[in-house]
Amino acid sequence: MTDIDTHQTTDLNGLDPGRFRDWSCDQDFCVTCALCSSACPVSGIDDFDPRKLVRMTALGMEDEIVEARWPWICTMCGKCENLCPMDIHIPAMVRRIRGLRDRDAVPGILHKGLEAAMQSGNNLGLPREDFVFILEDVAEEVAEEPGFEGFKVPIDKKGANLLTTIHNKLVNTHTEDLKHWWKIFHAAGEDWTVSSVNWEGTNWGYFTGDDERMKVMVDRIVEQMERLEVKNLMWPE
Amino acid sequence: MPTTYHDPCNYGRRAEQMFGRGFFDEPRWILSQCVENWVELYPTAQRQICCGGGGGALTSGYNDERIHYGRRKMDQIRAAGARMIVVPCHSCHGQLNNLKSQYDFEDLTVKYLWELVADCMVV
Repeated sequence: MTDIDTHQTTDLNGLDPGRFRDWSCDQDFCVTCALCSSACPVSGIDDFDPRKLVRMTALGMEDEIVEARWPWICTMCGKCENLCPMDIHIPAMVRRIRGLRDRDAVPGILHKGLEAAMQSGNNLGLPREDFVFILEDVAEEVAEEPGFEGFKVPIDKKGANLLTTIHNKLVNTHTEDLKHWWKIFHAAGEDWTVSSVNWEGTNWGYFTGDDERMKVMVDRIVEQMERLEVKNLMWPE
Repeated sequence: MPTTYHDPCNYGRRAEQMFGRGFFDEPRWILSQCVENWVELYPTAQRQICCGGGGGALTSGYNDERIHYGRRKMDQIRAAGARMIVVPCHSCHGQLNNLKSQYDFEDLTVKYLWELVADCMVV
């Protein structure tokens, strides 16, 4: 990953304006007003500002934008888009640029987690038996608290009113945080369930610009709703 | 405990931008059922500052940049005089908890909105 040296000479013959016109992000209509640069919380880090990225995308500088760290340091918070007088969809453009990276060069554990999810149904590669064991173990702890006697976690309950997904960190390092929603469901008398397979609520295809795998993850949740004949979904991730 | 609320980008500003409706009022109503006299951050709602943990930033490995990103969020919470920040987002929750130790703000409590509700229930 190379930092972009904006002071180096650019070969004007190598530019390809309008190259990414099919993205529906309207970056080609940037008027270079720099409102986005003023609004961006990471302007200045690594010499980044969104206007530069928009202009480089409009000019078709594919190698430069794909190799840059900029699209990954941006959190797609949307401050820029909120102000843009030309209604350029800058966060969506950033996500498109992320999607052009070779999958092996996606930074951090984002693509590895997604690949694990493709194989196993969740980012951790956690087997079904282990997942069920963790949920039941935490449910026993809840049942020991006053007011929650007899509490059980209704796994794979057909015909329940509500299916909830699970963030992988709640069955990894933050199991205590499973209890809050469960207690609310219990107090509210909610008829809820959680699927023993494909329960993963995070979707790292969204972060990595990977539409194909993002759709797989969404389809799996819909499949669980159909399998368990549940009409309502709670997807807090 | 002086309490404040953080709008996650995707539930607020971006939902409004993409779907025409941002969730600003609903979490505030829930918070008001649990806590009296909580204070708003400044800026807030549509103009809220990103915590720096979204878009995969917690797992991209660019940790120095992510922590630097969060400096304004920590300043903003301090300026509000808050000791508890309530947030309905897993990414924001993770980032805020991580920033506490980086910015000498260990006595800040970071609370999920649904955790606060569960804490307040009398059963």
